[in-house]
Order: sequence, then C-alpha cells, then structure tokens
Amino acid sequence: MNLKKFARQDTTLIVLIFITLVVFLVLWWILGKQFFSLNNFQSMGYQIPEFGFLALAMAVTMLTGGIDLSVVANANLAGILAAFVLTRRFDFFANFSEPALVVTACLVALFVAAVAGLFNGLLISKLSVPPILATLGTMTFFNGISMAITSGEGVVGFPEMFLNIGSGAVGNIPLIFILFIIASLVVGFMLERTSTGLGVYLYGENRIAALFAGLRTENLIIRVYFLSGLLSGFASIIMISRFNSAKVGYGDTYLLQAILVSVLGGIAPEGGRGRVLGVVLGIFILQALQSAFTLFAFTPYAKKLIWGSMLLLVMVINFVIDRWRSRSRKFVLEQEPATTNP
Amino acid sequence: MRTKKRFLTRNESYLLAIVLIYSTIVALKNPAFLSFENFFDLLRAASGKLLLALGVFVVLISGGIDVSFTAIAIFGGYTSARLMLATDIDNLAFAFLVSASIGILLGSINALIIHIFRLPTLIATLGTSSVFFGLMTILVGTKSINAGQMPSSIINFGSARLFEAVAPSGNTYGLSVFIIPVVFAILVTWFVLYRTMLGRGIFSLGNSEESAKRAGFNLFLIRFFVYSYVGLLAGIMGVVYVAEVRWVNPVSLVGTELSIIAAAVIGGAKLTGGEGTILGTILGIIIIQLFNSTLVFLGLSSSWNDLFVGMILLISVSVTSYQQRLKSRRSLTFSD
Repeated sequence: MNLKKFARQDTTLIVLIFITLVVFLVLWWILGKQFFSLNNFQSMGYQIPEFGFLALAMAVTMLTGGIDLSVVANANLAGILAAFVLTRRFDFFANFSEPALVVTACLVALFVAAVAGLFNGLLISKLSVPPILATLGTMTFFNGISMAITSGEGVVGFPEMFLNIGSGAVGNIPLIFILFIIASLVVGFMLERTSTGLGVYLYGENRIAALFAGLRTENLIIRVYFLSGLLSGFASIIMISRFNSAKVGYGDTYLLQAILVSVLGGIAPEGGRGRVLGVVLGIFILQALQSAFTLFAFTPYAKKLIWGSMLLLVMVINFVIDRWRSRSRKFVLEQEPATTNP
Repeated sequence: MRTKKRFLTRNESYLLAIVLIYSTIVALKNPAFLSFENFFDLLRAASGKLLLALGVFVVLISGGIDVSFTAIAIFGGYTSARLMLATDIDNLAFAFLVSASIGILLGSINALIIHIFRLPTLIATLGTSSVFFGLMTILVGTKSINAGQMPSSIINFGSARLFEAVAPSGNTYGLSVFIIPVVFAILVTWFVLYRTMLGRGIFSLGNSEESAKRAGFNLFLIRFFVYSYVGLLAGIMGVVYVAEVRWVNPVSLVGTELSIIAAAVIGGAKLTGGEGTILGTILGIIIIQLFNSTLVFLGLSSSWNDLFVGMILLISVSVTSYQQRLKSRRSLTFSD
C-alpha cells in the first residue's frame, strides 16, 4: 500500500470520526443526562455486539466486492441448532452437565455457522455463482431448514449459565462487548497486517489482477466466507442468549443495518476499500442513533425510514466525494503532459 | 452465426420437466390435485406474483436488481384502498389509476437515484424500499382494512370470473379475471423487449453498459423506463393483491421480494444481465406457486416451502454458473 492511498483512506476515517463526534455531541445537547449516562452506555454496550458481529461478517465479504445476504439466516439456523442442544431436544444430551451443555451449544453454533459460510464460499469460488445469488439461495435455504425443523415456533428455556453470556459483565463493561472488541481487533489485524488481508483488498480492487498476480483467489474467497460464517455464529450465540429463545425471523432487520453500517463505515460496495475501524465507528453511530430513537419513542417504521434514507444519503455523499476526487485526479493527469512539454 | 431457434430453451425444458414430474408425484399421492378447480385456484394465487416477476425479469435483463417492488406494491394497493374509503369513490379504474401512478412515481425515483448517483442497484433499492415503506406508514397509516370495510368494487374484482363451471362437489369455480392484467403484462413485456429499440437497449445495457453507451443508447431513458415499468407492474399488483386477499395489512407483502427474484432467477434470468426468457420467468413462478400451495397435498406443512424453493434456487444457479465457468475457462476469459 502506498502512502497516497493510506492518506486517502485516512480522510474517510477522519470524516467518520468527525461524524461520530457530532452525532454524540448533538445527542448530548438534545438529550443531556438521559443519553450521557452510565446506564445508557451500558445498554448500548449490550446491544452493539449482536448486530456488530453481523456487520463485521457483512463487511469482510463486501471488501471482496461480494455480499453475504445469508448472515442473518445463518445466525438463526446456528442459533436454533444450539438451542436444540441447550433444551436437550435429543436424548443424547440428557446426561450432559450444565457447563458441558453450554460449551457444546456454543461449539455447535460456531460449527454450523462456519460450515454454512464454507458452503457459501464453495458455491462462489468453485462454482462461480455470483455472491448475491449464492447467498440469496443459501439465505432461503437456511431459513427453509430452520423453518422445517421448528415449524416456525420458538425454542425457549435455556440454562442460567448460558444466559450469563449475554448478560454478564466485567466491572461495568458487558462481556459480549469485550468479545466484540476482541473480534474487531482480530479481523482488523487480519485485514491490515497479514497477506490474506492484502489479498482481500487486491481481490476487491481487481480480481483479475489478483488472479494473474498468482493469488489463490478461490482459496481466498472460501476463507473470507468461512470467516463471515464464523462471525455470524458468534452473533447467533449472543442473539439467542439475550433473547432466551431461538426462532426463525429473529433479527431480520439486521440485514439492512449490516449493509448500512458497512457502507457508512467506508466499505465500498464494489470492493477493495474500507477498514474495520470505520465499520466499528459506523456501528457506534448507528447504535447511538438507535438509542436516541428509543428515547424519542419513534415507531419501528419511522426507524426504518431513517435507516433507509441514511443508507441512500451516505452512498450519495460517497459518490460526490469520489467524483470530486477523480476530477482533481484527472486535472493532475491533464497537467502532466503539459509540464513535460518544453 | 445464428443458432437455430428452438421452441424451448434448455433451461425452460428442465423447468417444464420439474413442473410435470412434481405435479405427477402430487397427483399420484393425492388425486384431488388434478382438477380444474385446483388449477384455476393456482392461477389466481400466482397472478400477483407473475406481475411482480415480469417486472423483476425486465430489471434483471437490464443488469440491475430491484428489491423495492413489494414496498411499491403495498404502497400503491394500500393507498388506493384508503383513498377510495376516504373519498367514497368506489371505482376499480380509480384504484388502478392511483396505484399505477404511485408505482410509476416511486419507480422513477429509483431510476433517478440509480442513474444520477451510479449506486449499486441492490443497495440503492434496499434503501428506497425502507424509505417507501416508512413513508407509507407515516403518510397513510398502518391500520389494516378488513373485508367489511373494503370498497365493494375491489371485493367484486377479487371474486369476478371470466367463466364459471360447477364442480362435482357442487362448488362453482372458474377462471379469475386476474388473468387479464397478467396476460396484458406478458404481451406488453414481450413486445417492448423483443420488438422495439427500447428493448434492444435494455438487453444491450445488461450485456455491457459501456458498449450500450457507445452504441448511442440513451442510458437514462432506458433506466427510467425499466424502473418505472417495475413500479407500474408493482402498482397494478398492489390492487390485485388487495382484491385477492380481500383485506389489507400494510405490513404484509414486504419481505416476499426475494422469493420473486428467486423465481425469475430459477427461470433463467441472469443477475449479470442480458439473459433470460419470459417463459422461463413464468415457469419459475409456477414452480414456486406449486410448492406454495401443494406441499399440503404431500402431507408436508407449509413450513417446508422455503427449503424446497431454496434447494431449487441453489441447484439452478449452481448449474448455470458452473456451465458459464467451464465456457469461460475454455475461451480463457476470466471476467466471469
């Protein structure tokens, strides 16, 4: 990565940090103590990880120029299967002690979600199915499996120990929030400090160049969607632990929000640009607004309207900035021959 | 080189085979399936979906994707029903006029946003879908309208039939008038796509935006037509939908868009644009509708619906994509 590109990415980040500050300041100004209280921040800390993991899952696939529409369906399927373990649906688990049950459930959720992600990756890389179609198909398919095995009913009643995952805290900081920060750091490190990450950016920028550079692009795509699946698995554990139940259709609104946050955080939908730090900031902004809307008592429909307009607005702003940039770049290109001519 | 025109494309014959084999299985399991009554019911239930799918088909041909059409449909259908109640105009033409205008208006908003700001169509329409839906709930409301309140012209439209017959059981049944807008939409879509310059432009845009531009097509007009046409069909579908279910809950319908897209894709429309057939799209909808309404005949609950649709969708896209991949490999093109 050259210096120029780095500076360019940093401007996006600076704009984002600025927006975050403005959002928090404005909310502070309007809502005062109501917003800036330990209580509110704590509840935000509990709410962020749930869709934060889904947003990370979406972001890594969007960096490659793809998209993963199946994140929520995947999380639901993994959650339902984990819930089957937790409620001892099968005789096999009858003699499990509570800790063993909880550990097995978490492993089942992660395993199922990772396999589902792997399946996406195989479809996209080995069969060359366009990501939108592949994940649209698996989204319907995963929802279909969840629906068929539950008939649409919720699976409820988990052991206390499992619920602690969602409600536990270290000091004042929610456990799941710490988990989310660790996950963001790991994904961020992977994207910016490893060869895999470099490959992801190169593939997103120009997949043919990546292929001709000798990158094993098929392998790379499989790994990216595997990671996306794994992150959905974490989201599923947090989701069912916080709801104390698992059901088809939980978190359906998160799909739009995950895309919104990724775009808001500076991930270019055509791939190759964006950083995890941006996505995390985007999540903070979204959650701050979400909490404010709850304090304002907005209806879910009004929220939907606002999320939709925000998504469009951010995309339009990005377009304007991009055009402005490419104009100034064109200007440089046109100038260059002139300066070389005597 | 011109390939010989076949009556059915390969994909269409596969789909037809699936429909026939599946119907045979259902019929063997439950002979009640094979009746005109059931067949007409199926057609009636599929009419609305067909209207939407035709719109989606045109968008897919143009190389885009639209997920906002269900929001447009419910916006049109619900608003026209509310407006009829508010103004006491109990006229079906009025309902269609209001709903279709709303559809065209919202569709053209999509077109403007997509064309001017060059946004990826999926994300842009995902955004407008929420905006349209949110606007409707704020401007028009969220109260459902039940059958008792529903204007009588809409109720009559829902139960009108082209012709009627009496089943052995004593029930009268017949072909619903819903088939009229559907046939009309099929004819218009066919005519525009295959007999006009605009249609050539749509195919051309789907195949390659750059070459369409260099060939001198006005991309703005093409996009404007494509997205308003989806809006128009969605608006018409909105009224058909309200008449079909006889009551309207404004939060219904939104969320079913992906199954319609799935139908068009199963029908052979490529997401990368430029490919697909109308007959394929119709067969795609028939398959989805078959699963929707006949799993009961097989003794499975409707919960299994998504599983089958998802499986067919995955198999169909995998097969077509893999064939494309082999073809690209042979010709050493790596762009797909």
